[in-house]
Amino acid sequence: MLGKSLSPWTLSWFGAAMIALLLSLLLALATGIGPENLDRPEALAIVHLFALGWLTQVMLGALVQFVPVLAARPLAFSRLALPALLCSCFGTVTLAGGFLSLDGYEIARPFFLLGPVALGLSFAMLAVMILSTLITRQTLRLPEVRMVIVALAGLAGLWLSGAAMVSTLTGSHLAVDISQALPLHMLFGIGGFLTFAACGVSYKLFAMFLLAPEAASWQRRAVFSLAALMAGLMLTGLVMLAGAGSLAPLLIGVCAISLVGCALYLDDVRRLWRARRRPVPELNMSWSRVALGFLALSVLLLPFAVWQGGALARASVFAALVGWLSTLTLAQMIRITAFLTWIQVFAPLIGRRKVPVVQSLTHPRRAGLALTIWSLSAGIGTLSLATGFHTGFRLALCGLLIAATQILCELGAIRCLSHLSPPERPARLPPLILPNFMKPPHSGETQI
Amino acid sequence: MTDALHQALRGVCDPETGRDLIAMGMIYEARLDGTSAHVTMTTTTRGCPLTEMLRLGVEAALLAIPGISAAEVSLTWDPPWTPDRMEPLSF
Repeated sequence: MLGKSLSPWTLSWFGAAMIALLLSLLLALATGIGPENLDRPEALAIVHLFALGWLTQVMLGALVQFVPVLAARPLAFSRLALPALLCSCFGTVTLAGGFLSLDGYEIARPFFLLGPVALGLSFAMLAVMILSTLITRQTLRLPEVRMVIVALAGLAGLWLSGAAMVSTLTGSHLAVDISQALPLHMLFGIGGFLTFAACGVSYKLFAMFLLAPEAASWQRRAVFSLAALMAGLMLTGLVMLAGAGSLAPLLIGVCAISLVGCALYLDDVRRLWRARRRPVPELNMSWSRVALGFLALSVLLLPFAVWQGGALARASVFAALVGWLSTLTLAQMIRITAFLTWIQVFAPLIGRRKVPVVQSLTHPRRAGLALTIWSLSAGIGTLSLATGFHTGFRLALCGLLIAATQILCELGAIRCLSHLSPPERPARLPPLILPNFMKPPHSGETQI
Repeated sequence: MTDALHQALRGVCDPETGRDLIAMGMIYEARLDGTSAHVTMTTTTRGCPLTEMLRLGVEAALLAIPGISAAEVSLTWDPPWTPDRMEPLSF
């Protein structure tokens, strides 16, 4: 079958993630949250809608799509993709809603416990799919594959630390010290899962998009070793949560590893960039550089965040979630959506008639404007959180919402092939986010 | 006839770069055996989702050459593709 290595549910994952992104930004504006009240229950609900509903879901959807490319084999247990997505959506909404029970809405309390159960089911199904695809004798020697496996360990740590905190907050007999568990939970989510997965995938993606040699460097092997060490330290911290020991020495170790690992990763990407054969990088790669700048900023702020907490910790987390991970994801999502749309519509026509290139499905100037607004807002938001400037933070949220709406429109235009001239468009368009169960638009040939 | 074979392969483009497969250095061997065309090709990465579609596209382009009755297109990743295989043209 054509496109057998493609997961048909990737765009559904992306669609669910984009809805969560817009909803979280809208709610953040509507509820009036600012730098001074980010620990309010409704703020925690919104943060989880953003981190889980947007970033985690888009990363998991991208992994389901990209793991077969890393392993050069079809996705194993691909039928689990839909139930995993449904469990993830349900778990995110119930967990976010459950936080409202902390504000006295007792009706939301059962959902607080239901959220981690559904999310755990979703993560388990995804782990089965990803690990069964990735783990072979040939692939395990690749640092990027090992990074993704370490990222799954980070996802497990994220879930365990989160479930322990929910258990504590709901008054269950399984209780942990929230002040110790929270920094560990954030490190698992931002570093242990999202950043490790982004780094693992980016090695291959960046080389492909830049037309640069893929050969693994010493930096890449070192980054993997440091990531494994950091994951080990954080998992040790998880065990220590059950006891009464302080996590401070462990967090200092994680900071040091993050600084060295980040420097080596950025040096490796710089090497790829210099070795590229594509003289003018595409939009997704140009904006990935901005995202990498935010990665450096968030890691540089990390020691201050661990040492002082408070405003600098919030700024570091915001720079990582909004500046680094979201900018990278949004930039790549535009390109990946165009590529998947191209495959659905034009791949059966290769060699049979002239077909447009993938880039012609996008509008680089419009997407570039949206990413400019996003990145500027991410910068303003980071600065506002560091200085406790309420109005600046609210302005940043407005900018992020405008940019996200523009990007959603651009993604819709890509799916509708709006940027192509009418003769190039097929008579029938593929579905927006659902798999194409019908025959392809141009011919009666096999489809993905 | 060999010219027609090369012209047909020049007509199949990599959708990521817009360059044809010969310019991309993805065609390792192309030969004619009577009315049969044989091509050995690669992709830029082994797990490329377009692999089978490109192979079938090349097959279709070969079968469209007048006088060709059969086409055999095989894939190989030995040696693996590297950017050094690309023709030195700007795009």
